[in-house]
Amino acid sequence: MSAEESSLVKIALVSCGSEYAGVQPEFEEAAAKVNAKFIYPEIDVAFVDTIGRDFGLEVASGDLRLMMARAKAVVEGITNADGVFITTCFRCAEGAIVRNEVRRYIHEHSNIPVISYSFTESTSAGTLLTRLEALTTIVRRRHLLTREIQTGLTAGIDSGSTTTKAVIMRDNKIIGKGWVPTTKVLESAEEAYSIALKEAGVSREEIQALGTTGYGRFLIGNSFKAQLIQEEITVNSKGAVYLADKQKGNATVIDIGGMDNKAISVQDGIPGMFTMGGICAGASGRFFEMIAKRLGVDITELGDLAVKGMHENVSMNSYCIVFGTQSLVNSLAKGATPEDVAAAACYSVVEQIYEQQLQEVDVKEPLILVGGSSLIAGVPKALGELLKIDVLVPENSHLIGAVGAALLVSGFVEE
Amino acid sequence: MTETKKEEITKYIVISSDKVLPSDAAMKIYESEFPVTVKETCFGLIVSGAKDDVQTVVEKIRQLDKNHIFVKDRGFPPGDERRCRASRGGGPRPGFHFLREEVGILPAIGAALDELEAKESIKEKGRTKCRLKASDLKKVIEEELAR
Amino acid sequence: MVKVFIYPINSLILADLVERFGHKPLTMMSQIREKVTSLSLDSPPINITPEDPKLGLKYAAIEVPAGVRGRMALIGPLIEQTEAAIIVENPPTDFGCVGCNRTNELTKYLIRSKGVPVLEVKYPDSDEEARDFVNKIAAFLESLPKEKTETEEKAKEEESAEKEDKE
Repeated sequence: MSAEESSLVKIALVSCGSEYAGVQPEFEEAAAKVNAKFIYPEIDVAFVDTIGRDFGLEVASGDLRLMMARAKAVVEGITNADGVFITTCFRCAEGAIVRNEVRRYIHEHSNIPVISYSFTESTSAGTLLTRLEALTTIVRRRHLLTREIQTGLTAGIDSGSTTTKAVIMRDNKIIGKGWVPTTKVLESAEEAYSIALKEAGVSREEIQALGTTGYGRFLIGNSFKAQLIQEEITVNSKGAVYLADKQKGNATVIDIGGMDNKAISVQDGIPGMFTMGGICAGASGRFFEMIAKRLGVDITELGDLAVKGMHENVSMNSYCIVFGTQSLVNSLAKGATPEDVAAAACYSVVEQIYEQQLQEVDVKEPLILVGGSSLIAGVPKALGELLKIDVLVPENSHLIGAVGAALLVSGFVEE
Repeated sequence: MTETKKEEITKYIVISSDKVLPSDAAMKIYESEFPVTVKETCFGLIVSGAKDDVQTVVEKIRQLDKNHIFVKDRGFPPGDERRCRASRGGGPRPGFHFLREEVGILPAIGAALDELEAKESIKEKGRTKCRLKASDLKKVIEEELAR
Repeated sequence: MVKVFIYPINSLILADLVERFGHKPLTMMSQIREKVTSLSLDSPPINITPEDPKLGLKYAAIEVPAGVRGRMALIGPLIEQTEAAIIVENPPTDFGCVGCNRTNELTKYLIRSKGVPVLEVKYPDSDEEARDFVNKIAAFLESLPKEKTETEEKAKEEESAEKEDKE
């Protein structure tokens, strides 16, 4: 790791309530793990009296006005910050409005990377780690993120919660792929990697650089002596725009994974705002697996089935993986067709992503859908219908993380 | 972390006096030989130490100009790293802003306490807006004429 | 002497006036002190731990944000001790412990519904208003029962004796 990459990153903490919710030490712990430090932007108190009018958003709570004033101090360079972490209490409407608008403001008026999050008293350092890792990566590895072409012979392994993916790339082409269900993290990685190497016809020793991502990135990264261990927000953003050939300008990446979803607003391949879901499995690939099983079809057939159905014909009363499945089963009993049920399942998942995640991210075209669930044809169809825009599913969209890792790590080959 | 014994307290003494300077007050405390820690700030003093000592010292200082010296408790001991500007990375602690606002109206509060003490009969002016002071009116007239 | 709740709960002027007129102000500062000087806690900066929002459930339901419940864990015990209260309307720059307006609304509501004597005054914007502010607060505080506890009487006697000695 270069000196620049190991240097301390100063993150301006623009928050309301964190000190009173008992989560501040968790924030500090997560920041320390990625060698970052929170700073509290200096403001002129007179700034706060007029900030509501200046900002155009008048709110009752002083700490929320303080957030706006602090954001302004960062944007105007009064405080020197490398990144901004915006956070307010979960379930506070006033806080959510300010959080979103402050994030938008920083995004529009500066190049400083910014992320936001709403916490409860149970928020742990672990939950925040991926977010802060992504933020510090954008700060430290901007040069790596500008990479648009894969060079040399590199490999990427994405150790996901449900499946493990591996790819081998040579001179900007994918030459080997491995995709296996995740059982034991290391064993599954080994298996996927071996399959990919075999297909590529190269030996492990020939690989010039290896990058890892996903839930198991640290474990497999350390075990396989990877040159790059990187969280999936950064890697998937890069992988998505690369595979979709939309590296310049704005893009929105939606990744429906086996257990959680990500919505990322990307600019020139660099992630800006993003949200990570993952509280309920009803909006994940796991839900599709369950529905396919109930319909007696293979998961690979579910998509084609869904494309032929009408989601409107089925009433779903819940997004919950248990009750939602129950609704679908009941519909079958009432005479709904398997096609309609498959379509309703797809619609249910994208509707949840829309309601819970896309509200916080600017949806700018092209919209690139990736992750294993993107292969279920009913999903991009339902998403397109809901958002009224064309959804792009690039080839190899399920290998997004592994491709992104192989692409990014090729920066280490030249170095 | 700052070591704090159970009975230790910290008080803020905010001085809004024409007669007493924070440095005078600090000197007075040093002279009193009470085992308290004194820190001068832009608003006055922060006094920290055993509860009884602090209370006695603070009362003595208040008596130097009692209607223009104000006192409140402070949760954190002085220079506590958890709230210290230097170690926390810039930006005043949240309570600072309100204290600054309040300090701004202390001369008016002090004057009101003086009047109250002098037992001046305060006429209930009701809900209507108060009249402009003659001196202020003079200023307004002069400014208008100068235009 | 009565225990007087003040709002804003960190106010220098209110804490000072209450004490000046012989009563005990119930302040956030004393609550914070209790937290930050507790050696058994290590949750900087103010040692509020995830347990506090749970204690706050006594005053606000689970759907109320954690930051409100955490603050209520500090303010709630003061409300319980309250024998009289002074509430100042439209105070300027409300940050930190008074930085959340939802908490402030709940706090004022709980105080008002407690059935103790409450004085509501406006934050002064001019000298004239400051005079009115002080007079109203002084009159209110003087209307509250003043009887002293034994230890306080004793402390007072000792203090005056000390004064005489020095003079």
